[in-house]
Amino acid sequence: MKVVWNRLSSALLVLIAASFITFTLARVIPNDPSLAYIGPKATAADAAKLRITLGLDQPIPVQYIKYVWQTLHGNWGYSLSTKQPVLQEIIDRLPSTIELIFFAMSFAFIFGVALGVYAAKYRGRVQDSVIRILAIAGVSMPAFWLGLLLQLLFAGRLAWFPATGQFDIDLKYEHPISKVTGFPLFDSIITGNFTATLNGLHHMVLPALTLSAYSFGLLSRMARANLLEVMSSDYIKVARAYGLSERLIFFKLALKNALPPIVTVTGLSTAYLITGTFFVEQVYAWPGIGGFAVNSLLSIDYPAIMGITLLAAVGYLVINFIVDLIQAKIDPRMWLR
Amino acid sequence: MSIKIAFSSQRIRLIAGATIALFAIASFVVPSTAQAASVFKVSTSAAVTTWDPVQSFSTEAFYMTNIYEPLLWKNPDGVTPEYSPALATSWTSSADGKTWTFKLRAGATFHDGSPVNSAAVKASFDASKKIGGAGFIWDALKSVDASASDTVVLNLSYAAPMDLIASSTYGAYIVNPKTLVAVAADSKYYESGKDGGSGPYTIDSYKAGSSVVLTAYAKHWAAVKPAYSTIDISIVPDAITAQQMMTSGQVDWATNVPLTSMTSFRRNSKYTVVKYKSPFNYVGYFNTLRAPLNNPVVRQALSYALNYREITTVGGQGYATQARGPVPAGIYPYDPAIPQYSRQVEKAKRLLASAGVKDLKIKVTYASENSAEARFVPLMKDAFAAIGVDADIQGILFSQQWSAAKKDPANAQDLFIVKYWPTYSDAGVDNLWSLFHSSTKPFFNLSYWKNAAYDKLVDDAIELSGSDKAGAQKLYSQAMMMLYKEAPGIYLYDEAQVSVLPKKFSIPKYNINYPFSAFFAGVKLSS
Repeated sequence: MKVVWNRLSSALLVLIAASFITFTLARVIPNDPSLAYIGPKATAADAAKLRITLGLDQPIPVQYIKYVWQTLHGNWGYSLSTKQPVLQEIIDRLPSTIELIFFAMSFAFIFGVALGVYAAKYRGRVQDSVIRILAIAGVSMPAFWLGLLLQLLFAGRLAWFPATGQFDIDLKYEHPISKVTGFPLFDSIITGNFTATLNGLHHMVLPALTLSAYSFGLLSRMARANLLEVMSSDYIKVARAYGLSERLIFFKLALKNALPPIVTVTGLSTAYLITGTFFVEQVYAWPGIGGFAVNSLLSIDYPAIMGITLLAAVGYLVINFIVDLIQAKIDPRMWLR
Repeated sequence: MSIKIAFSSQRIRLIAGATIALFAIASFVVPSTAQAASVFKVSTSAAVTTWDPVQSFSTEAFYMTNIYEPLLWKNPDGVTPEYSPALATSWTSSADGKTWTFKLRAGATFHDGSPVNSAAVKASFDASKKIGGAGFIWDALKSVDASASDTVVLNLSYAAPMDLIASSTYGAYIVNPKTLVAVAADSKYYESGKDGGSGPYTIDSYKAGSSVVLTAYAKHWAAVKPAYSTIDISIVPDAITAQQMMTSGQVDWATNVPLTSMTSFRRNSKYTVVKYKSPFNYVGYFNTLRAPLNNPVVRQALSYALNYREITTVGGQGYATQARGPVPAGIYPYDPAIPQYSRQVEKAKRLLASAGVKDLKIKVTYASENSAEARFVPLMKDAFAAIGVDADIQGILFSQQWSAAKKDPANAQDLFIVKYWPTYSDAGVDNLWSLFHSSTKPFFNLSYWKNAAYDKLVDDAIELSGSDKAGAQKLYSQAMMMLYKEAPGIYLYDEAQVSVLPKKFSIPKYNINYPFSAFFAGVKLSS
């Protein structure tokens, strides 16, 4: 229990630090947020009036304390560029991003670990080299570049997959999805709108592939290295000497001990994907948090930037906490560290 | 040591093969949704800064011209008559140009069914003049007489071209008075996508930063109804993504495709590439408050240093022409007789030497979000280097660039690059006045230039333009000559509007007077 409290209190400190730094940075940048709010041809008088309305005329510490107080009460401010409540913007867009991250991470985990294991089995052979090249490419290719490349090839040239969007635009007129949970793909399944489900899955392929590339590369390299390390340890040799089957040695003994670092990397990768979606969503015009984040950054929409930073920070902390819990379940010694 | 595990190579090959097969089959078996016949799908980069037609002063004009109507529409350059009736069917002006009478269209209604009458026109103009971002266009308007419900009489303090002003993209829409009252009570009234217009379309739904859906207004006065009852607009800031959406058939038309893709579109039989004059003009402001740029000779030297052909080619990707001052070609009071600077390196060096300038260092700022500026500004650095001037170029967000320029002019940038366009089709009132007329506090005059003779020419021309357009043109031309000689700015290029039009559809021609707009009521399938 003490460990849990320690983790939670350090998480709180991280949140305060992240929010304060972002808040201060957004205000010290020489910029006039009123321009984002009322357009580039706003008059000086309009801009001055708006600065008072938005509280920008007050000292930064006062602004920060007000911001924290309002945030705790569910008021995350209004986006300067969309004029909508930031919290509402996030709530509306988050489900699409979570669905994208879920598919990307599932793909990365299943194929990353499987190919890592396969590479370990064929260490030093052609298969290993091919998988290593794929992994390095996945880790080193910038997501926006890979996204454009896949888009040009599979949507532009081959026309196998749609170039952008979460669903065909016509779908909302022909087969509209009834909102139940707010997660569009999930809602299409539970309401039996399978035309929409298939269409959504079709749209999901390219963005999910793009987003998963980094995690896929990381996981496959990690799985390969860990398995090789574990399989060469003494207890595996002893197990072999006792004549245990290779299947038993692999699944019951080796894989279990190779898992904790993979779980850690999976958690960190998932957290990384929260910000990784920024570029991918922009390229694929995905209606999630990413496009909103990029536009907010470009227009120095500081209430939106603050909201997204808070969301990302909370996302990181929650995922790390979950990873800790899973690791502790796999290896109870973790509580002692 | 090898690992002998349960994954046999045969099984793994099977899984890999199945995955690839699934991946390929998925692309064929998943049916595309059938196209809804009455829906025209568009992608655009046009963001919505506000849905308030009175405050509107930015790219939301793309939508506004479909939802709201002014009294008149100004036709594209070269089309006669010069104006088309919108909510006014006829108009006259007094001999002195100080009284304008507009007869309103019978049967025109707002989207809630209430009539468009003189009270609505008066309320709209009053609101625009009082709080509008473009309220300055009504500067000459003294009073509006709305005593007859089907006629408005505009009384002016000085002669002004009210037909032109009443057809402005900004600040001239006629708004439902009930909406104006609602907005006064609730400043966030419009933000969920409500409207108070009378145009051929009304807002059906709006997802901020993502999509806008317009539906046809069944009771619109036009005899010919729109071919598409629904316009589904995706807001896509990235031009390459927009291009992909159009070529893959996800949208019918993308209004923003990269200039670099025009060559491939020209080769594609499904599309037509068309080029029009636009009101967009690139100009640089010299900081005339700081030595040695307070010396016109130094400014001329820097103007002679640039390779305008190169800048035009790289910045405008072949779709631009060198500017003759800050007034773009095709917009009043453009004058083709105004001379242009050209690259003359030796002359530039001589001028610098005659001014006693050595080892000059200047700071150049441009808007980093403007891809054309990002392309051509490095060329300016090279050109300045050729005459021994070291330019430190800084790409920052326009809001930051503008903010820094207004904050402390004496210590601000030396050269400020900007893309400018007039609020309505009169670059005398706007470009010539806004960019270079003296002002106590800098707003858009970011060269901080003050010249009483220039101010008088422009002020006199503005007052004359309502009654004697030719006389006003003469004064404006003199003012533009002064800008050439004094060089408070560096005049770069006029950008062309390049559109890629799918041949499947007939899309109304681009109108230079409404540079951000697309008029969807005229879209139909090609015959």
